[in-house]
Amino acid sequence: MKAEIVQTNNNFNIKKSKSSGAFSVMWREILKDKLALASLFILGLLLITVYGATLFINQDKLVTVDLLSIYSPPSADHLLGTDYGGRDILGQLLIGAKNSFTIGFFITLIAGIIGLTVGITAGYFGGKVDNFMMRIVDFVMILPSLMLIIVFVTIAPKYNVYTFIFIMSIFLWTGKARLIRSKTLAERELDYVNASKTLGTPDWKIIIREVLPNLSSIIIVNLTLNLAGNIGIESGLTYLGFGLPETTPSLGTLVSYATNPDILQNKWWIWLPASFLILVMMLCINFIGQALRRAADARQRLG
Amino acid sequence: MLKFILRRILIMIPQLIILSVLIFALAKAMPGDALTGQLASSPKMDAQTLHELKQKLGMLDPPYVQYFRWLKGLLHGDMGMSIIHQTPVTQLLAGRMENTILLSAAVLILSYLIAIPLGIVSGRWTDSWADKMVVGYNYITFATPLFIFALLMLFIFGFVLGWFPTSGSVDIRVENGTFSYFMSKVNHLILPAFSGAIISTTVTIQYLRTEIIDTKIKDFVKTARAKGVSESNVYTRHILRNSFLPIAAFLGYDIVSLIGGSVFLESIYGYPGIGQLFITSIAQRDFSVVTALVMISGLATLVGTLLSDIILSAVDPRIRIE
Amino acid sequence: MVFLKINNLKVYYPIRGGFFRRVVDHVKAVDDISFELKQGETYGLVGESGCGKTTTGRSIIGLTKSTAGEIIFEDKDLTKLSRKDYHNYRRDIQMIFQDPYSSLNPRKRVLDIVAEPLRNFEKLTIAEERQKVQFYIEKVGLSPEDVYKYPHEFSGGQRQRIGIARALTLNPKLIIADEPVSALDVSVQAQVLNFMQDIQKEFNLTYLFISHDLGIIQHMCDRIGIMYRGQFVEEGAAEDIYTNPQHIYTKRLISAIPDINPKNRDKQVEFRKKVNEEYKNSYDKYFNAEGKVYKLKQISNTHSVALP
Repeated sequence: MKAEIVQTNNNFNIKKSKSSGAFSVMWREILKDKLALASLFILGLLLITVYGATLFINQDKLVTVDLLSIYSPPSADHLLGTDYGGRDILGQLLIGAKNSFTIGFFITLIAGIIGLTVGITAGYFGGKVDNFMMRIVDFVMILPSLMLIIVFVTIAPKYNVYTFIFIMSIFLWTGKARLIRSKTLAERELDYVNASKTLGTPDWKIIIREVLPNLSSIIIVNLTLNLAGNIGIESGLTYLGFGLPETTPSLGTLVSYATNPDILQNKWWIWLPASFLILVMMLCINFIGQALRRAADARQRLG
Repeated sequence: MLKFILRRILIMIPQLIILSVLIFALAKAMPGDALTGQLASSPKMDAQTLHELKQKLGMLDPPYVQYFRWLKGLLHGDMGMSIIHQTPVTQLLAGRMENTILLSAAVLILSYLIAIPLGIVSGRWTDSWADKMVVGYNYITFATPLFIFALLMLFIFGFVLGWFPTSGSVDIRVENGTFSYFMSKVNHLILPAFSGAIISTTVTIQYLRTEIIDTKIKDFVKTARAKGVSESNVYTRHILRNSFLPIAAFLGYDIVSLIGGSVFLESIYGYPGIGQLFITSIAQRDFSVVTALVMISGLATLVGTLLSDIILSAVDPRIRIE
Repeated sequence: MVFLKINNLKVYYPIRGGFFRRVVDHVKAVDDISFELKQGETYGLVGESGCGKTTTGRSIIGLTKSTAGEIIFEDKDLTKLSRKDYHNYRRDIQMIFQDPYSSLNPRKRVLDIVAEPLRNFEKLTIAEERQKVQFYIEKVGLSPEDVYKYPHEFSGGQRQRIGIARALTLNPKLIIADEPVSALDVSVQAQVLNFMQDIQKEFNLTYLFISHDLGIIQHMCDRIGIMYRGQFVEEGAAEDIYTNPQHIYTKRLISAIPDINPKNRDKQVEFRKKVNEEYKNSYDKYFNAEGKVYKLKQISNTHSVALP
């Protein structure tokens, strides 16, 4: 047995072993999946354009009504035409995309944190804690959430972007809580958690340092897919007129002009580009998410 | 089994109570009450008479008294008056409900008609080009938001091609009860129903596909093949029988998404159902209607999940809470 | 001083039933057992799966809460200590787990796995910590550079040794080994067992060795307790148990140990027949009406058996 020990003179030149962490597996999976790679590229380009361009857009000019060019179709002046106030659609599109993505991102993040905390606590401690928390989750899940969000949005005093993010987050964490709970329940049964307990590691540390890294791939996949979903819900609500306040135009705002049949039928440049942009963003994020999902599930990996 | 159903209903009771309290609290938080509407019709009311009237109507009672009165009314089917329409909410809902149920049923049926064949094809011939098409279709419909898809359908088939009507549930010129009335209803239904159905096929297809792929390598299927059961019989008798029952059970859960979907579908297609009523009521601040609609939707969701849980537990004894 | 003494330990799990899910009965995983460990010895707990031997081990180390009874370690009752006081005893009692695959966190390097207890109990600099980890990693027969690898880069036997290194870092007095080799290849089993015996001498360890394999127990243990349905059937020095089994359950276990020598085959068959005969004829003598065994009775200085 002693023969196995290969003495090394110096610890400093020890080659660090290649990690097989969640991130490198995911990255490899995306590289293998051409569609996901293309999606990543398009989404990246889109986000850079949107966030970059909005830095240079003069917002004041964008909201000023220009009576001379009401509803003008695409032209050299206005690449995507103008709306009923003669305002440039392209500019609104860029700002809308930025707002939609940012807000979708924060809703995903906040709902994710709530869902993760509840799910992992319920799953790790089990018993009464689990029972209590899951009753709450069950209850929120049976609520007609879309209608309640609309009601809350209508009656909320001092309604602004933050209120909107808050209201959305309250209703959108439950699915994740359930998923994380079931995964934690399975993880908790593994001996490495027991080992940590016997080694004197406090519970909060076990949750964060031991269990959480093992759930990371599932969490990333879930957050990615949720991001797409949440951008959809946000723009949908804004379309109905119950999403972002008017001061914060989103892609849904542009689409909502289509509630007017005349615009829907005859002035496609107002609502169609925004619709396509939403579609492209959601498809890209979903394709990336699906590739990540395959990475998280070893059976489905492409290679 | 009976025990499970009873316990499941028992779990529902506290949910129902909390739901009603929540909605009552929301109703109180909404601006405007039953009097606001009457005030509009008789503007000459002074503060004194208003106070007396409020007293008479019990609006100054402690909240819990009001809550129980509201609950009692609800149980008797009294959901208050619509301020805008000046009619009892119940009456207002009746006609709309019929349309929404019709639309939802159409969405459901179409969705299964599309999803089941696609799911079977894709599960049976895994990795064939057909399977790849179905998987691609699934990715796209899963990613597409309902309102964008419905809008595009309306634009293409309603406006550009002009194949279908773009608003309403029936042509107002045709007479009720005639064949053309029926045809007009169907005609108005096709576009919204297809839009809703195509977007909601994902779960069923995904479920069927993985279920079939998982089942077809199981030992009992191999045994059936080894005994010489024909390939089509292996599928119809052995694999699909196991996969279909849970799909039927998902019906109840679908109610949740159908309610959300109806809000979008009905407002885009101008279809006079409860979803559209909800949006117009909230825009017009007709809050007694809003409250009633939220309560009804909550109830529908509750009953839907209850049904699904019961059917699922009947189908699959493993998930029964004993 | 008493090193480890278990008095009337009970671990019950409630069975809920009826409409309101009241507690209607209990699963008696461990039902009133008492035994003692002396420092430096290896005590074997044997029994079929589900007999409560693992639960016993887990309640000693605090992974399972005991329903009643005392666990006295160095004159302190562990069941009555507060969480904080209990923390001080953590380092004295450690555990080796059955499954070398699930007991090491796949996301952590060996260095972080083995250093985990050190980080909980000792304030070391990074260099000191690495030195200490490498010391133990060498002790268990791996090379110092292995500390930068991940668990999946090792074989089952190597992983089990990493688990042992982790248990050793805090200089424990008692190690609970829960089926430490049953997940390993037979060829590797002996290697790990011998190694465990080596470090026992070196670090003056006491083992509570839990196994279903009487052959391994015979190889490892000084004293043995046989468990059946949460109770002790027989307890004694290894020699007592193997040469002079008294309870029919023990006899049946012993008769089931395979003998590799073909010359003894007839003898073995004969012995099994005899034991089986006795089991059929005198079942009532050993088990009460509920199918449970009786209380332990001492029959010699070192040997007790559960007889009426």
